[in-house]
Amino acid sequence: MAPPTRPILLGIVLSCLAAISTAEAKEQLILAIGGEPEQGFDPLLGWGQYGTPLFQSTLLSRGRDLSPQPELATEWSLSEDRLTWTLTLREDARFADGTALTAEDVAYTFNTAAEAGGRADLSALEEANAVDDQTVALHLHAPRITFIDQLMTLGIVPHAERDNGYSEQYGRHPLGSGPYQLMEWQEGEQLIVERNPYFYGPAPAFDRLIFLFTNEDATLSAAHAGQVDIASIPPALAANVPGHMQRVTMESVDNRGILFPMQPVNGEHAASGAPIGNDVTADLAIRQAINLAVDRKTLVEVALHGYGRPAYGPADGLPWSSEEERVEAPNIARAEKLLDAAGWNLRDDGLRYKDGLPARFRLTYPSSDTTRQLLAEVSAEMVRPLGIEMQPTGRHWDEIQREALHQDAILFGFGSRSPQEVYYLFHSQHAGNGFYNSGLYANAEVDTYLDAAQAAKSIEEANQYWRAAQWDGTTGYGVRGDSSWAWLVNLEHAYFANTCLDVGELGIAPHGHGWPITANLLEWRWACN
Amino acid sequence: MNSGQPPSYPPPNIYSQPRLRAALSLFVTTLLVMGLIASQWLLGDAPQQMQFDARLTPPSVDHWLGTDALGRELWARTLAGLALSFWVGCLAALLSTLIALSLAALATLSSRLDTLVSLLIDTLLSVPHLILLILIAFALGGGTQAVIIAVAVTHWPSLARVLRAELWQLRQAPYVRISRALGKSRWFVLHGHLLPHLLPHCLVGALLLFPHAILHEAALTFLGFGLSPSQPAIGVLLADAMRYLSGGYWWLGVFPGLGLLLMVLGFERLSNHLRRAL
Repeated sequence: MAPPTRPILLGIVLSCLAAISTAEAKEQLILAIGGEPEQGFDPLLGWGQYGTPLFQSTLLSRGRDLSPQPELATEWSLSEDRLTWTLTLREDARFADGTALTAEDVAYTFNTAAEAGGRADLSALEEANAVDDQTVALHLHAPRITFIDQLMTLGIVPHAERDNGYSEQYGRHPLGSGPYQLMEWQEGEQLIVERNPYFYGPAPAFDRLIFLFTNEDATLSAAHAGQVDIASIPPALAANVPGHMQRVTMESVDNRGILFPMQPVNGEHAASGAPIGNDVTADLAIRQAINLAVDRKTLVEVALHGYGRPAYGPADGLPWSSEEERVEAPNIARAEKLLDAAGWNLRDDGLRYKDGLPARFRLTYPSSDTTRQLLAEVSAEMVRPLGIEMQPTGRHWDEIQREALHQDAILFGFGSRSPQEVYYLFHSQHAGNGFYNSGLYANAEVDTYLDAAQAAKSIEEANQYWRAAQWDGTTGYGVRGDSSWAWLVNLEHAYFANTCLDVGELGIAPHGHGWPITANLLEWRWACN
Repeated sequence: MNSGQPPSYPPPNIYSQPRLRAALSLFVTTLLVMGLIASQWLLGDAPQQMQFDARLTPPSVDHWLGTDALGRELWARTLAGLALSFWVGCLAALLSTLIALSLAALATLSSRLDTLVSLLIDTLLSVPHLILLILIAFALGGGTQAVIIAVAVTHWPSLARVLRAELWQLRQAPYVRISRALGKSRWFVLHGHLLPHLLPHCLVGALLLFPHAILHEAALTFLGFGLSPSQPAIGVLLADAMRYLSGGYWWLGVFPGLGLLLMVLGFERLSNHLRRAL
């Protein structure tokens, strides 16, 4: 068998970096936290939606209590009719090439992002225009309560008509006003960034950051070999901390759960040619029974080694999620009653059948993700006594997208600090659009609540509608209603960090184990001489 | 000084005779194979059964080879993995031998076809095995079928070269030439005279391919391009073990690795003995 060359090359690179790291420990950090974006570092195509854009600045930032804080904008206001946001920009903001960031750049960013149709949802934006150099106005078609989240996540890019302005190559050569600027990016291997001398905020403690894009195994090996300063570690492997490192955990709203295809098989096919629908998971009794059979506390203990908490919804603990959204589980007896009543009868082979259809379906997970593999295998084991066979199946992401998206139950992960995600996950308007509502969930009552939440006059009013969409006493997307998901766990993100690295007070991370830890990068310090 | 007694020779060591060695190897390997096949029925759900209160337990009287991160017995998973590898290896080796035999036979039909087959053999031999394996397995989307096809498609050239040379030699044999002179068809000559001579070569060739096939299946799976991570394949067990080795959970890698080594060595020895005996 020929020796694989990539691990050897990686080892050489890591050794060289470790040597440099020892010599200049205070000026340079090596991070193996993943998070490499496929489409490059272009905010208009989605960069920065989970975590922080690093190279660019946003108009507002999110405080630890999730409230908006000044960033590029020092003042902001929403008109009485809730259709116009007016923001005043700081005067000392400059791009990394030394040119000033103006309202023209902000207006260009919002208008172009709305047209680009990336991950930033700007469908409510009618037009953004610069009132003067330091004032920008954002006009909406209709009131949208979650629009403020875009002010906190969309990084500002330079206008295309200026020097070094935005172009198609921007994702590979980003220019922004954030704390760091990109020096070199070797796709699939590493990213080197250096301090932006024109950054308006406090100077970061580290002049240079090197992000290594390694898989789980290589990251763990590098951490044990002392070749990285901070590494993201799957929870199941976080128990054995290397001698020179400390374990750092970060609370998150990053969840994992099983998304069920909601449509029965009806002969329709996706654009890839894969069939749509699943007759087993389309049955409400099956989904409810699975929700009742899964012992979430044991899942946290076994699959996450205690680094997490049970999950019952997409936003547990956040104001737009009901605290009553719980299910007393495991309750096998109740699950069996539900299945019996729905006509799913147990046969001698240990499986339930309804009209000759066995209660069997694939539970697909990305094969590169150890945590999801463990969750899939353990939850399948928990459901087996019911006579339901979930077949854990590991696939590559592109294969999941091509083959499994609308016909397999999929072990997905989401988690956002904005209720916008709930809208994406459960509104029928987003059915079949990307990963969010790939199970094609549709409930007219839920749609009504979600639309009402977006049009609400206040956050408090909106939260009432968000919670009603979950369960209004009659229907809802949650475990008491349609049970469109079996939410399993909320993760606690685990890292191994050098004992000399002080990462300050970490906030609450959204989905994406890795990059979100850089949100408070400016507070990081090297505590040793 | 002559004592008048006939000279004494050491008794012949019957175990050094190639046929006996081959028979012994065959016996031991057959036992192993039967054990593996029987284990599939005897094990039942054991390789998948989780014991949440006995996770990552070292080898002991209760857990013979220890348990993995989900409390599954490693002895059961190793046996299931070896059985899976055995079937994958068997099918891949069989398919590979069929491809080799077909192409070797095709090469004897005309000199143009022979050139074409030789070119194909040389081309495939010049490409590193593993790279080609990964490419094919990835293109086919992974899984058991993809691994069998990838291994079969990449392992036939060496055997095809041997069979082709053998066929060309046989074509010059007097009885083949007489048969042709009597007006027998090419198909008759191939089917009636040449193929029966090739069968022992095919058997040894398939047995030699088998350990390679198993090793490459494990390698592909270990690298993430082979069987599903949820199947108890040896490559999966070894890949999982890698993550836990730094924590001191040595048994996760040692026992599946030893099992694979023993199976590969067993078949390697059997094929070598058979080659000498035949």
